[in-house]
Amino acid sequence: MAEILQILILGLALGGVIALMGSGLSLVFGVMRIVNLAHPSLIIAGAYITYWAFKLLGVDPIVMLPVASVIMAAIGVLLYRLMLERQTKSAKYSEMTVLLTFALAMVVEGALGGLFTNTQRIVSPDYATDAFFIGDLFIPKGQLYAGIVSLTIIVGLTLFLKYSRLGYAIRATTQNREAAELLGVNVNFISVLAFAIGIGLAGAAGSLVSFVFSFFPAKHGEWIAMLMSVVVLGGMGSILGTVVAALFLSVIAAFVGAWIGATWSTLTFFVALFLILLVRPQGLFGEKPEMA
Amino acid sequence: MSELLQVTNITAGYGDGPAILDGAHLTVEPGKVHCIIGPNGAGKSTLMKAICGMLTIRKGDVIFKGKRLNGMRPDQILREGICFVPQERALFPKMTVRENLRMGGFILNDQKELERRIDGILERFPILRERADQHAGTMSGGQQQTLAMARTLIIKPAIVMLDEPSLGLAPKVIQEMFDIMKMMSAEGVTVLLVEQNALMGLKNSDWGVVLDLGRTLFEGPAEMILSDPRIQELYLGGKKAA
Ligand SMILES: Nc1ncnc2c1ncn2[C@@H]1O[C@H](COP(=O)(O)OP(=O)(O)OP(=O)(O)O)[C@@H](O)[C@H]1O
Ligand SMILES: [Mg+2]
Repeated sequence: MAEILQILILGLALGGVIALMGSGLSLVFGVMRIVNLAHPSLIIAGAYITYWAFKLLGVDPIVMLPVASVIMAAIGVLLYRLMLERQTKSAKYSEMTVLLTFALAMVVEGALGGLFTNTQRIVSPDYATDAFFIGDLFIPKGQLYAGIVSLTIIVGLTLFLKYSRLGYAIRATTQNREAAELLGVNVNFISVLAFAIGIGLAGAAGSLVSFVFSFFPAKHGEWIAMLMSVVVLGGMGSILGTVVAALFLSVIAAFVGAWIGATWSTLTFFVALFLILLVRPQGLFGEKPEMA
Repeated sequence: MSELLQVTNITAGYGDGPAILDGAHLTVEPGKVHCIIGPNGAGKSTLMKAICGMLTIRKGDVIFKGKRLNGMRPDQILREGICFVPQERALFPKMTVRENLRMGGFILNDQKELERRIDGILERFPILRERADQHAGTMSGGQQQTLAMARTLIIKPAIVMLDEPSLGLAPKVIQEMFDIMKMMSAEGVTVLLVEQNALMGLKNSDWGVVLDLGRTLFEGPAEMILSDPRIQELYLGGKKAA
């Protein structure tokens, strides 16, 4: 019993972080119908910002989180302007954006590799190696903090989307871009904004990831599959779905890791992605797979 | 005649594609119901999209209250007072009725005033009030169309353009939609409508526009079109229209 509870807690904490990693991807897909294959590589960029701030200046990763988000959000605006804006009128929008974001992922990986080598890194503030003990339960502080901060950010994002005027505009654009435009929403501005928020979330996730997982520039290949499965199971574009799917899959992966073997743990996500696409492509909270 | 909106021989198309409209014109007079008829693919929806700024106008002018609207964005044209309800899919399916109405007033800055107007609309449309917290996508076709039309009233526009509001609705429900249009028009909202069922559309309108192959063939009082034997033959399916 204690063992099950233990695995559950670890799964949920990691699931929180994965939810944050996926939420930006989901938001960008929802508003712009772009599957941003570069998302995980930008998370890694955020992790490096946090890493160097810690290493050179001793800044705590959680303190660095807002800074990393803002830097990455600004990079998001640039990327949108340089790369995606001119695609909006392209007849091959989906193909172009998939290829472009894939190319971007490779460029980011290459650049980070060139700058910082492919050594595994991890940020180690005190709490990353510390833990709470409750009876027999062992709760690593780093994962717990990261999970809590992630879920807090997601709750904030959800409240913003639900209640603010810009949040209304983002949701409206997600559900029906043309109708939103006809009601006076500047959908181009909303696209830039959503992309900036999405990449800002990648930056935030990078700060947390930096002390939870070890990372190196090429790690994003593994993460994109993991995030895809979370976003697809959640129903592409649904933030709530992403969170539920992340927690769900992460708990399953934790059990698989504990009972079958750690090497099988990540495979959980890949198998899930495959099965979901075959059985229920619209995911838990998504629309039927016809997309507008 | 003091026209509210004047479209003069415009040419327009999608992107760099061929001109879909070429020689389309129409005159909209305040307070009346105007109906655009024409066969499938005539360019009726395209004409509405051109007026509301979704397409670039290549030639000709759209003049509203004496102001040229060519080249303005949809949100700017909306602020001028022209509201467009596209054919199907005008709503946000996963927003509630109330949230949809709130989006209808997106351009209003005074949030208190917006809430007051939403309450006013819900007061006037009991079917919407009963479903205020229901997702729009889960309502019946007639209820959704009612919401789409009611939503335009939030910003008190001068002109409401409705693209086939009767599409896919049962005859009894269609009559309700025309009743709402009459009510809108009685309140001083000018209605410009596209209707597939030409006979029905014209019978419920003051002014008719016949569009075919992207150009206006005829425009005039609805009774005149209804009684023109040539137009009857071509666009009203003979004496007895479908
Ligand atoms: N998004 C688009 N891109 C390119 N061409 C389009 C687009 N929408 C419509 N067209 C073309 O424009 C022409 C006119 O279409 P439009 O939708 O305006 O006709 P309509 O009169 O509204 O017809 P219907 O009664 O079927 O609604 C058609 O030939 C159509 O193929
Ligand atoms: Mg049409």
